[in-house]
Amino acid sequence: MQWVQVMDIKRIRQDFPILQENAGHKPITYFDNACQSLRPKAVIDAINQYYLKSSACSGRSMHQLAAEVTRSCDQARSSIAKFLNAARKEEIVFTRNTTEGINLVSNSLDFQKDDVVLISDKEHNSNLIPWQILAKRKGIIVKIVPSQEDNTFDLQAFEKLLDKKVKLVSFGQTSNLDGVSIPAAEIIKKAHQNGSLVLLDAAQTAPHYRINIKALDVDFMAFSGHKMLGPSGTGVLYGKYQLLEQLEPFLVGGDTVLSSTYDSCQFLPPPEKFEAGLQDYAGIMGLGAAVNYLMGTGFEAVEKQEQLLNEYITVEIKDMPKLKLIGPADPKRRGGIVSFYIEGVDSHRIALMLDQMANIMVRSGQHCVHSWFNAHQLKGSVRVSLYFYNTQEEAMLFVNSLKKIGKVL
Amino acid sequence: MFCIIAFVILAILGIFSASNRALAKEALDCVFRRVTLRPCNTGFDEKMKSKILGSVITRSETAARLINKNFELLSWIFFFLMVGSSVWALRGVYLFYVTGSCNGLNQAAFCVFDPKGANNQVSGLAATCKVTPTTEKDLTLDRINLAGFPVLNENASDKIVFIGCYHCDYTRKTYPMVMDLVKKTNASFTFLHYPVKENTDYMTKLGYCAYQQDQNKYWQMNDIFFTGDKMKLDDTAYVQKTLASLGYDSVKINTCIDSPQTEDTVQKLLDEVIKTKFFGTPTVFINGKVLVGPKPYRVYAIMLDGLFYWLK
Repeated sequence: MQWVQVMDIKRIRQDFPILQENAGHKPITYFDNACQSLRPKAVIDAINQYYLKSSACSGRSMHQLAAEVTRSCDQARSSIAKFLNAARKEEIVFTRNTTEGINLVSNSLDFQKDDVVLISDKEHNSNLIPWQILAKRKGIIVKIVPSQEDNTFDLQAFEKLLDKKVKLVSFGQTSNLDGVSIPAAEIIKKAHQNGSLVLLDAAQTAPHYRINIKALDVDFMAFSGHKMLGPSGTGVLYGKYQLLEQLEPFLVGGDTVLSSTYDSCQFLPPPEKFEAGLQDYAGIMGLGAAVNYLMGTGFEAVEKQEQLLNEYITVEIKDMPKLKLIGPADPKRRGGIVSFYIEGVDSHRIALMLDQMANIMVRSGQHCVHSWFNAHQLKGSVRVSLYFYNTQEEAMLFVNSLKKIGKVL
Repeated sequence: MFCIIAFVILAILGIFSASNRALAKEALDCVFRRVTLRPCNTGFDEKMKSKILGSVITRSETAARLINKNFELLSWIFFFLMVGSSVWALRGVYLFYVTGSCNGLNQAAFCVFDPKGANNQVSGLAATCKVTPTTEKDLTLDRINLAGFPVLNENASDKIVFIGCYHCDYTRKTYPMVMDLVKKTNASFTFLHYPVKENTDYMTKLGYCAYQQDQNKYWQMNDIFFTGDKMKLDDTAYVQKTLASLGYDSVKINTCIDSPQTEDTVQKLLDEVIKTKFFGTPTVFINGKVLVGPKPYRVYAIMLDGLFYWLK
């Protein structure tokens, strides 16, 4: 296949200190980006900057350091709002991760008994368990929208289940299992026509695709910083401002209230009312830096690079004996993910061998989508998740190593 | 089977490395499951197998394929090899404890606990003194007439016969130890002096004459000669002075040394020593068993009092 230079990968890789390191005298090939990405120096510097130069509280105190932290966190919030093309920065709530964002919605939205929540059949546990718990606690009904045979979204099945009782539609926008993205705009339009709210788990979308939240018109969107070059333990919940105003806060305490008496309190407006306690300021600054770095890189190039790598890997491995790809055959529909299993071979074994052989780091197992694997009676898969700093040479190394493994096992 | 081997190896490596310690814990869990007849479902076997295959495959796909195909069989083979080598290693430790060499009594082959072979070194007998080359197997006290040699605790049931020389380093190292043992156990101790170094010929006659004059003082004299400065033994004045300090009559001793009868008797004694077919000093016979070279104290003690000599 023809390789096209879509970005200056060599220069980009120099921004990532870990890629300059060797593990056991071999360079690492990091293909576990769906779990979390590597971090550029700009992000590490931003975190260091906080601890080295402005290690103080944001908002609460009046001194110079506090003012600096407040300004930096505010800048990070503005950057993320710009990154999403959100109407206002107050629609950005800092969380620890996508899971916390979804839990915030599930615990704060005014669910009543028999309200229906629609999810797909291949949701990450983060977008499954909160609803299961709510079903037990409040009596909501969780309905599963089955995917098509090739694991792509079944719009007809969705429409069939979309009735007036559906209070919330909560889908993973891009699957961490197979990289397949759902037709979010269409789903949101139909859900809104039905009077339902929409929450998107964008953990695997935000790092790879340009998001225009105004155009998308989604009500809530949760994503993690650590999958998009940001620090671990950082995340974002986007919510339309008028919806955030209506939500009851999930975690409460310090920094969420304007004032309190012994028997009542007055909450601050969003997003503060959702950001209880002292925040991870260093992380927030790092996340701001990550978003700026990503915007500077350009999503068209990011997407193209991942597609090229996915296409190469798919073409090279798809005909290996007993190898089954999860998701559609067309790599263009699987973003930066190649998920596969070899019949009769434990996925962990393949992952461990790749690691041992050539420092190739992939994910194996059920990727927190146990429900899908259990339903399909599969033990697990090997997941190669690519990012823009991955190279053709790394993809070739992976392919060659996997072919060797295929011959041996 | 694999987890048992892995546990042993990782436990040893774990002494030096924390990551191996963690793996050893996993292996132990797996071993525990196996011995309680439960499946090892911790994934440990799988993990280690994958790591091994991952390493081997980069060198040889064929070898990796073979290992993958015969992993269980190879595990069994390595298990038996491990058991075998463990037994062998334990045997080595036992032999070292009992004989001072991992390879058995008087075996000079390499022993990890005595890498320089110090426990088996001897002051070699000059080739001219031997009719034919001899080995440890030829050593014997049969048909040796021990009458006339200095003896302590003659009637004791445990018998030690010690062939050594005043000037020989290994004898000097061993003699005090053996004497200490003799004092503790009251074993019979016969000392056969053989001058491996020619310049100490006269010491044989001197020892003979001293013993003839006073048996008790003779052992004191030996203690002084074996623990003092070896170089002074070449100094006749020093030797004479030592004898005098012990209360010996120097004149009588010198007369005895110069006597042709002494010459004759001493030669006969030396001939008897030669008949043992010893090839170096020290050579120690303990109740018939022969020990060649300077063994650690415990070896002599075990020969006399058994494995648990220290309990007595």
